[in-house]
Amino acid sequence: MITRWKFLAVLLTAFALVAAACGGDDEAEPAATTEAAAEETATTEAMEEEPMEEEEAMEEEEPAEEEAPEDEAMEEEEAPIVRADADLVIWADDTRTPVILPLAEAFGAENGITVAVQEVNFGDIRDRLQTAGPAGEGPDVVIGAHDWLGQLVTSGLLAPVDLPNSADFSAVAIEAMSYEGQLYGVPYAIENIALIRNVDLVPEAPASMEELEATALALVASGDAEVPLAIQNDPGDPFHDFPLYTAGGGYLFGQNADGSLNPDDLGLDSEGGLAAAAQFQAWTESGLLTPSLSYDVMIESFGQGTAPFAITGPWAVSDADRGFKATGVNYVVEPIPALNGTTAAPFVGVQGFMVSANAENPLFAQTFITEVMSTEDAQTGLFEAGGRPPAHLAAFEAAAGDPDIQGFGEAGIAGQPLPSIPAMGSVWSAWTDAYGLILSGESSGEEAFTNAAEQIRALIAEG
Amino acid sequence: MPERTSPSSRPSRAGSAAFVGLSLGLVIKVIFLATINATSIWALGRLVPEGVWVGVAFITIATLAIDIVYLAPGRWAIPFRYLLPGTIFLVAFQLYPVVYTASISTTNLGTGNILDKEAAIEQVIATSVGSTESDISYVARAAQSADGTLGLLLTDSRTDPPSHFVGTTEGLTPVDAAAIDFDGDRISEAAGFTALNLGQAADFETQLSELEVPAEEGIIRLQTFSRAALVGFRLQYDDASDTITDVETGTVYSPTEGFFRADDGTRLNPGWEVNVGFDNYRRVFNSEAVRGPFLRVFVWNWAFAAGTVLFSFALGLFLAVSLDHDELKGKRLYRSILIFPYALPSFLTVLVWQGMMNKDFGVINGLLNAEVPWLTDPWMARASLLLVSTWLSFPYFFLVSTGALQSIPSELVEAAKVDGANGPQAFRRVTLPLLLIAVAPLMISSFAFNFNNFNVVFFLNRGGPPIAGAQTPAGSTDILVTYTYRLAFESGRGQDLAFATAISILIFLHIALFSAWGFRKTARLEEI
Repeated sequence: MITRWKFLAVLLTAFALVAAACGGDDEAEPAATTEAAAEETATTEAMEEEPMEEEEAMEEEEPAEEEAPEDEAMEEEEAPIVRADADLVIWADDTRTPVILPLAEAFGAENGITVAVQEVNFGDIRDRLQTAGPAGEGPDVVIGAHDWLGQLVTSGLLAPVDLPNSADFSAVAIEAMSYEGQLYGVPYAIENIALIRNVDLVPEAPASMEELEATALALVASGDAEVPLAIQNDPGDPFHDFPLYTAGGGYLFGQNADGSLNPDDLGLDSEGGLAAAAQFQAWTESGLLTPSLSYDVMIESFGQGTAPFAITGPWAVSDADRGFKATGVNYVVEPIPALNGTTAAPFVGVQGFMVSANAENPLFAQTFITEVMSTEDAQTGLFEAGGRPPAHLAAFEAAAGDPDIQGFGEAGIAGQPLPSIPAMGSVWSAWTDAYGLILSGESSGEEAFTNAAEQIRALIAEG
Repeated sequence: MPERTSPSSRPSRAGSAAFVGLSLGLVIKVIFLATINATSIWALGRLVPEGVWVGVAFITIATLAIDIVYLAPGRWAIPFRYLLPGTIFLVAFQLYPVVYTASISTTNLGTGNILDKEAAIEQVIATSVGSTESDISYVARAAQSADGTLGLLLTDSRTDPPSHFVGTTEGLTPVDAAAIDFDGDRISEAAGFTALNLGQAADFETQLSELEVPAEEGIIRLQTFSRAALVGFRLQYDDASDTITDVETGTVYSPTEGFFRADDGTRLNPGWEVNVGFDNYRRVFNSEAVRGPFLRVFVWNWAFAAGTVLFSFALGLFLAVSLDHDELKGKRLYRSILIFPYALPSFLTVLVWQGMMNKDFGVINGLLNAEVPWLTDPWMARASLLLVSTWLSFPYFFLVSTGALQSIPSELVEAAKVDGANGPQAFRRVTLPLLLIAVAPLMISSFAFNFNNFNVVFFLNRGGPPIAGAQTPAGSTDILVTYTYRLAFESGRGQDLAFATAISILIFLHIALFSAWGFRKTARLEEI
């Protein structure tokens, strides 16, 4: 008797609870949809991770190597992202959300659609798109770096973009945002490293690397400086060392006839690559390059005026606390000088807006990125918020009144887009190790690079 | 408070207590079961439309089992009331992940193969767009006729004067400019089609994005809400033969091993997820990159895990014994301080250690005024790694040893002393064996944890320093999990998730076997 009564009670309560849950939903639903589009716009804190301030700037440069490990290593599982309830959903990181939000809101209000900008850590966007996209929880638009294209396009996660005003953009940016001849995004920022010179210590720009080396070593010998060249190398850093590598005569991947990169033609142990390695060793031995010089040491030594030169990117200039602007050191940004007449080419990174292949509303997404985010105003707004040189030529012209932007822009002219082919992921660790071994004096340049090339080929073949 | 319920009051209160207890217990039980049932029904409501039938079956059976076991009047149900929740959690949170991982390890999941075949075909075709030589685009507006048919109002500005069309799924119809109502330079009404403003068009987003107007050289479709373009697809899929053909070159691609491949081996991206059987496991054993450094990595892996456990246990026990002294003042303070390394997130503290151990700029060398190669010399790096991992895990053993020490009756030690044992002897012969009964199983689980301690190895030194002259990228302090992580995520393909899961299954089996052996050994400790 009593059991049956209990059983009924349980069932009744269960249904009551379910009904209550559904009832709540029913009430909420129409309210949400009838609300004005702009009001509905929400910034969802999709995830909160440990901020690793200075690392972040660096990580953005080497996503293939740097970010994924952290996800993997986190003890607690991160909650999967659930698609925000809106017609147009955009994933952006914390610095760009405030700029995109008003533009997206205006776009939403104009078109009578709801818009949401979900905040996702920049380094996590690529990996999360891979799981959320096919699961139907993904966004319509993401902000991303061009070197993600290899993985994202190969996995079929991005939709091609047709940008009518592509001539308004820097050619290198459009090239970088293309993969296998197809454009996959609207570029908005170009980033590269440059030489930063302390004008008080070195009034004249060095004409060559040879001159830079002599000047820097003389300043250290005379006690006017402590670190001859502030360049990150902890334990090694192929990204920052790349201009030195290219100036020494090296190349990374050869090109196919159609201009795409050939992962089977690795240049590390080519004649030029080995020459560059030997040059790197010579600089280590002369003392121009300092082993285990970390980002912190780099930014502090140059910021405090104890280094005549630094090779770094815009993030070190604009860092809020320790940046060169903030410390008031008298600096100028300029191209990295050539070595023996060979140009120093830094890697160029391009960031932009991409459309998910699984976008719920591809037309909104395409309209938003090609008609709103590709305008000069939007690109200028993004520049003002993030300080990255705009990819839009007119916006760049307007921004180039800033001598830093001008300097980074000039340094980037000789640059090469950071390779976006998936094989690039095999390069970072082994190459970092090779530089580390040269810096610690354990290997000769030639030996280190020959081995690194072997290791990279083995890893590429593993795929 | 046993004395409060005096024996005499028990029988008389039993009746009312039973009644009160029944209704109170019943209320709690009803709420508990109702919540579970409600959650299950809610979850089923989400799982059924998704077609996750395994989940549906599991939740249905688990919920019914809980309802039956907790509501059934018979005595037989009582043991199940204790067993069932644990069993369900075991299945859901332990067994299922292992089975799921194992099932992934027999696929090719990873960069290039994350979609299903249907989606992959769609994407292969979609990305082959835009190869038509003529780049023809139109100023466009979405429109609707009186009967609800959707169409496009198109203006081609290449001609002078501009030519106008109405496009529907039927085809493209030229319209005379005289018969058109304009709204600025855009068409507002033509041939019975009225332009939709953006808000209205938004309601038909999906239909409009799929609306294709056949034209001679391809199809015309909306690129954005204000622009349409003539697009052609270089690749075409043939349903009957399940092949993709390149209409320009005539190359035929057929599906093999998760990709459409041509006869010469070129493949079309993306591919899809397929079952590859034991290929990933075969790769673990056959790959030169894995086999080459395997023994060295494996030996160091054991040394690292065992060393960490032994050192941190020794240190933790030493501190626990030291702080166990009755006359010591401020015990709580010391104990709280000692917990710190355990309480802070390890990946942060490891990064701090990394900075402190920097050879040229680190705090430690700065204080010592020395140039100790903490992280750059292979043997020093291994020692540093052990130091940091010991620092991270000794508080755990400190905590459990403190607890275990307090549970050992002091009479036993006193008795030993009466029998003539000195302090160390009493500790070694009496305290330690008793302590090990409690702590040994924890040491085994700590070993299993440290065997896969990715955080400390990866963040301290990324498995480095590199080995000069090595042909494979394994570093001096790499353990299996960090090394295979490199292989799986830095291969030429991108991310090789399936390969990574195959490795983790192998590591799991190894750890499971070791733990089983270890627990059997410790069971014997209790017999002492």
